[in-house]
Amino acid sequence: MHSIAIHGGAGAVPADLISRGAHYAASLSGVLDAAFDILERGGTSLDAVTTAVRALEDDPLFNAGRGAALTREGWAELDAAIMDGRDQRAGAVASVRHVKNPVDLARRVMEKSRHVLLVSTGAEEFALEEGLPLVPNLYFRTDDRRQQLAHEQQGRRVSDLMPVTSLGTVGAVARDQHGNLAAATSTGGMTNKRQGRVGDSPIIGAGTYAKNGVCAVSATGHGEYFIRAVAAYHIASAVEYRGLTLDAAVRELVHSRVPTLGGKGGIIAVGAQGEIVMDFSTEGMFRAARASGGRREVAIQR
Amino acid sequence: MADVKRFSPGLMLALIALLVPALACAQGAQPIAIVIHGGAGVINRADLTREREAGYRAGLEAARDAGFAVLERGGSSLDAVTAAVRMLEDDPQFNAGKGAVLNRDGIAELDSSIMDGKTLKAGAVAGVKHVKNPVELAKAVMEKSPHVLLISGGAEEFALQQGFALVPNSYFRTESRVRQLERMKSSTSDSGSGSKGTVGAVALDRNGNLAAATSTGGMANKMPGRVGDSPIIGAGTYANNASCAVSATGDGEYFIRSVVAHDVCALVTYKGISLEAAAREVIHQKIEGLAATGGVIALDTAGNIVMDFNSGGMFRAARDSRGRKDVAIYGDR
Repeated sequence: MHSIAIHGGAGAVPADLISRGAHYAASLSGVLDAAFDILERGGTSLDAVTTAVRALEDDPLFNAGRGAALTREGWAELDAAIMDGRDQRAGAVASVRHVKNPVDLARRVMEKSRHVLLVSTGAEEFALEEGLPLVPNLYFRTDDRRQQLAHEQQGRRVSDLMPVTSLGTVGAVARDQHGNLAAATSTGGMTNKRQGRVGDSPIIGAGTYAKNGVCAVSATGHGEYFIRAVAAYHIASAVEYRGLTLDAAVRELVHSRVPTLGGKGGIIAVGAQGEIVMDFSTEGMFRAARASGGRREVAIQR
Repeated sequence: MADVKRFSPGLMLALIALLVPALACAQGAQPIAIVIHGGAGVINRADLTREREAGYRAGLEAARDAGFAVLERGGSSLDAVTAAVRMLEDDPQFNAGKGAVLNRDGIAELDSSIMDGKTLKAGAVAGVKHVKNPVELAKAVMEKSPHVLLISGGAEEFALQQGFALVPNSYFRTESRVRQLERMKSSTSDSGSGSKGTVGAVALDRNGNLAAATSTGGMANKMPGRVGDSPIIGAGTYANNASCAVSATGDGEYFIRSVVAHDVCALVTYKGISLEAAAREVIHQKIEGLAATGGVIALDTAGNIVMDFNSGGMFRAARDSRGRKDVAIYGDR
């Protein structure tokens, strides 16, 4: 079975969901089908997750790439990671300000450097060496995000870590026809975040993990808690060492381990045989999944 | 009789509450321990003069004893690992803080992390260039910010807000690291392995709490912005009272991909194998299977000490309340 699941973040469902939900659903739907096509044609799970995440980065509705959440000073600082389940090769970038598609740079780090994680201007230097064009930071900033930042800074926040507007990290997990798993995640992080703050998305084992025969995982939520929980790898080790089903392992992480630490969020995962799990402890999670068995769904609320 | 009956449940509990810790103390049932490392790698006896070997041993002993003194005073494992790592950062022999390796551009870029096994709170910094003791900044991130990981200029902005004095990058740069970089740049081989010297510590305190901390300058001649496993919670550093505390050192990229520190603890928890067997499986099967080298130091709440590596040597030292007190560099001593 080949299958793919994507997410566009987990969090409080915005009050104007009724009016805007259709836009989100349409976007998720289009991204899902484009990435699934790659799998249908015999393409790799790595290409499928890269394509899905790149498209979500380009869509200003989601908190990654264009339309990313802004820092205190009004900058977009982007993080992304990708992992190949075949051999656990991985690439990640954090705090880049000028790379149009951070997931593409993460993939270059994996394929063209001897490193796994590059941050900040060093990552951008590598992007230039690799011939990726840089864009001005203004490219990422949308009016919606500027407004959210202003709201946050006027004190209209729900909590330090989970502003209403944080819905929107993006990610994808897939299994291709050859049985290979892959995962990718990309984010602008928290609205009004401190400069240099990095969450779980670019951390291998926390926000992103893939291992053939076990599972591929992409997380979204309170990044700090997901790092401390080593969320993605925790799920993989529960499946591999404890023999839990993927469903049970995800449920334990989302509804017990992370909440015990004080956090909330969601997970999408695909198992060794292509089974899909999408679970969250927040009000909603933008998500979509499609499998060769015929399953196809796009959902936001529970 | 009536009185005794009426008060007995509360009295019993009170007595137990008073006696158990006292007994535990008297019998030494709650051990304290600290284990430190100063990096793993190819360490040839032939390359190390007697003088330099003595210098490393003295540096390791001093850091080990500084951490152990904190535990003996009844201090927390968190304070003990911080004290030990701070001392190793200040020691120019090791690749962390002063004496850190230099990146491609000749700049020291430092990474560090710390984790509290009791609360699973963690703090980390990466790519900082002006913070004298990165482990202290990692601890401040854990204790004074809602975040876990801060990097580069943002981490330094936070340091200034917390009242840290910044130092020029030249503070970290030593003569021998400058020569090392020159050697690496003039050699044609792309080996970045001149970096063995990451430092770390794990400790167990009187309250049975574990903690772990790691600090490094990373790989010599590294690409600017490259971050290894040291500041990555789960990879280079992990602590959880329910399983173990681990600090890793070695080929950072492979250690990230293998989520080494958490994997050791996951094997202990989920497979029910000993800490020693878990560390052996991760280092000698998984890491070795990737053709990578390195090592881990690990400790559990029972005070079991593990120092394992698949490289030629690992600078390491351990001390506990049962009388163990050692320092070693090579495979055998």
